Amino acid sequence: MIANNNVPIKPLRQPPVIIQRLQELVRYRELVRNLVVSELKARYKASVLGFVWSLLNPLAMMLVFTVVFSFLLTDKNRVEKYPLFLLCGLLPWNYFTAAVMGSVQSVVGNANLVKKVYFPREALPIAGVLAQLVNFLLAFIVLFAALVVFRAHFSPWLWLLPLVILIQTCFALGIAFILSTLNVFYRDTMMIMDVIMLAWFFLTPVVYSAEAFPRAHLILGHIVDVRRWAYILNPMASLINMYRDLLFLGSRTDLDFFLRTTITALVVLIFGYWFFIRYSDRFGEEL
Amino acid sequence: MSVTRNAKATPGQPLIELHHVSKRFAMHRERHRSFQDSFISIFRKTQATKDEFWPLRDVSITIYPGDCIGIIGRNGSGKSTLLKMISGILPPTSGDLTVSGRISALLELGAGFHPDLTGRENVYLNGSIYGISRQKMSQIIDKIIDYAELGDFIDTPIKHYSSGMYVRLGFAVAIHTEPDLMLVDEVLAVGDAAFQRKCMDSIQQYRRQGGTLLLVSHDLGAIQAICNRVLWIEDGVIQADGHPTDVMMTYQRYYVELEEARQQTHQEAQDDEKNNKQRWGNGQVRVTQVELCDAKGEAHTNFRTGDPMTVRLHYEAKGVIEEPIFGLAIHHQQGTHICGPNTKFGGLTLPAIEGSGIISYLIPSLSLLAGGYLLSIAVVNQNNTETFDYQDRTITFHVYPGESQEQYGLVTLNGVWQRENETVLAPTVTEKFYAR
Repeated sequence: MIANNNVPIKPLRQPPVIIQRLQELVRYRELVRNLVVSELKARYKASVLGFVWSLLNPLAMMLVFTVVFSFLLTDKNRVEKYPLFLLCGLLPWNYFTAAVMGSVQSVVGNANLVKKVYFPREALPIAGVLAQLVNFLLAFIVLFAALVVFRAHFSPWLWLLPLVILIQTCFALGIAFILSTLNVFYRDTMMIMDVIMLAWFFLTPVVYSAEAFPRAHLILGHIVDVRRWAYILNPMASLINMYRDLLFLGSRTDLDFFLRTTITALVVLIFGYWFFIRYSDRFGEEL
Repeated sequence: MSVTRNAKATPGQPLIELHHVSKRFAMHRERHRSFQDSFISIFRKTQATKDEFWPLRDVSITIYPGDCIGIIGRNGSGKSTLLKMISGILPPTSGDLTVSGRISALLELGAGFHPDLTGRENVYLNGSIYGISRQKMSQIIDKIIDYAELGDFIDTPIKHYSSGMYVRLGFAVAIHTEPDLMLVDEVLAVGDAAFQRKCMDSIQQYRRQGGTLLLVSHDLGAIQAICNRVLWIEDGVIQADGHPTDVMMTYQRYYVELEEARQQTHQEAQDDEKNNKQRWGNGQVRVTQVELCDAKGEAHTNFRTGDPMTVRLHYEAKGVIEEPIFGLAIHHQQGTHICGPNTKFGGLTLPAIEGSGIISYLIPSLSLLAGGYLLSIAVVNQNNTETFDYQDRTITFHVYPGESQEQYGLVTLNGVWQRENETVLAPTVTEKFYAR
């Protein structure tokens, strides 16, 4: 051993922590894949229909909402081809809820892994979201079938669809990082999220059209463009609007919309990731 | 605090460096698990008592590739915490930690397995936890399945496995992924004897190929057999670090002393009631005190194989007793009667005794192997027709492994092995043997 033991030999420059963690995550991509597969397998285990539920579930929900809203909605608010309209919003929303609610538990639910073996902990929420993405993509079979049935007009801008899905995934992942971390330290995150997701559902134009928001409404003496603000404050409203533009209306989506949502999603993702790795060291002893 | 992890080991550089590493746990005085508790604690300024616990304090170790390190110490001494910090599950509270290379860790039974997946699927999952690609795993999976000896169980969900099967599969994956460093925490003890031997063989082979191993075990024999360095951790501090034999001698000496102190308090309480039940005889001679002494004449209840031991019997006789016989019996704690020397067999004819005195039995080298033993005392008349005092298995003592490597059975015969046609050594060894 020629090395002088008194002087610790350090590499000249260590890349920033976030980059190191990303490199490590790339090395562990196989683990993410395996976790996604095992999550999907575990979900459909002991169910007779298996993955068919991914298709049946949205169909059944579509049926329920269509029946209910055909009574509730007045002629003024009525939407043409309501089942299709609903499906275009409901599928992305379901994906979002499932991804968020599933990954809130992703770290706590895998306590036996986290406490006993080392691997980059971010693999857990990532796998949680990706498992739901697979489900979502399967549900597109139903959606495209419905598009054909209702003879919707296929937009030439349909190639944007994967990008929209990607943006939504980034956004969901960012939220998943934050919530799964919080849930390790405070288990009531789960309970609170139940309520928040319900409120979020009704504040997002999923079952109704964004047209229902007034363009001008007087709040505390100011005239407020409620529809515009609903989009700005709620990225999910913008995302679902984009899905509807591309799939239901068959038109193109607005560029400023698109950019703003992209930026919001990326900011949430980067903050979420930073937040997660800031605290993930302590998971082993907190669980 | 700083933690550095390099994916690849640098040749010639240590795999692991701990520099004044300490770890603190906040003892869970029900930490605020919910927002409600946190909210309440804002108003209650009582600041829940901060009980701290330091499983490791100021630990500095350097481990080079090819080392095979055994870690010994009692339960709760910090061994597992050390492995968990090296593997990355727990961050150190202070100090610097550098780890290079790929690690496989067998820290707990079934760690890294998903109960709902089959054995085969879990092999892939486990492999990816160790950072191995699916392609590589596909190449070695047959060897792993073969090694784990699970047969058809490999395609059953792992939740139906026995603990032995968990361990076999876990070890099979860990050893076949050829890690730079392998951490093993006691789990091997779960396997049956045949599998343990197989593990030991594999570990030896892994070492020959230059692998590095950290092994926590209470099986000192196993550690002595495979390790080239031993760490003894007690109360979170490294007490000794060095050659296996040296460290283990220090460890055992400490442990024997500790055990003795514990037993003394324990035994005093039991003595009285015991005496009546397991003692009979007409009382003309009574053994009032029994001492087990070491070479220096100090009384102990713990000895090591090969130590000298003297049993001293203090007696009191009522009147004059002609030629009494004093005897001993040693039983193993599980009941086997091992020996029963007495003064008559030993050729010591006592004249008439009167009043008090001491009879002692000298054992130059204790041939009992490690275990718990019971000592009985008897004083009878010259024809063994009258029992003066009989104390049946009233005295307990323990024997710990000494320098002798023997571990099977109850006794060592202090024999010497030799090759018949050996010309140089044979006479000297034989002479030495018969000279005793």
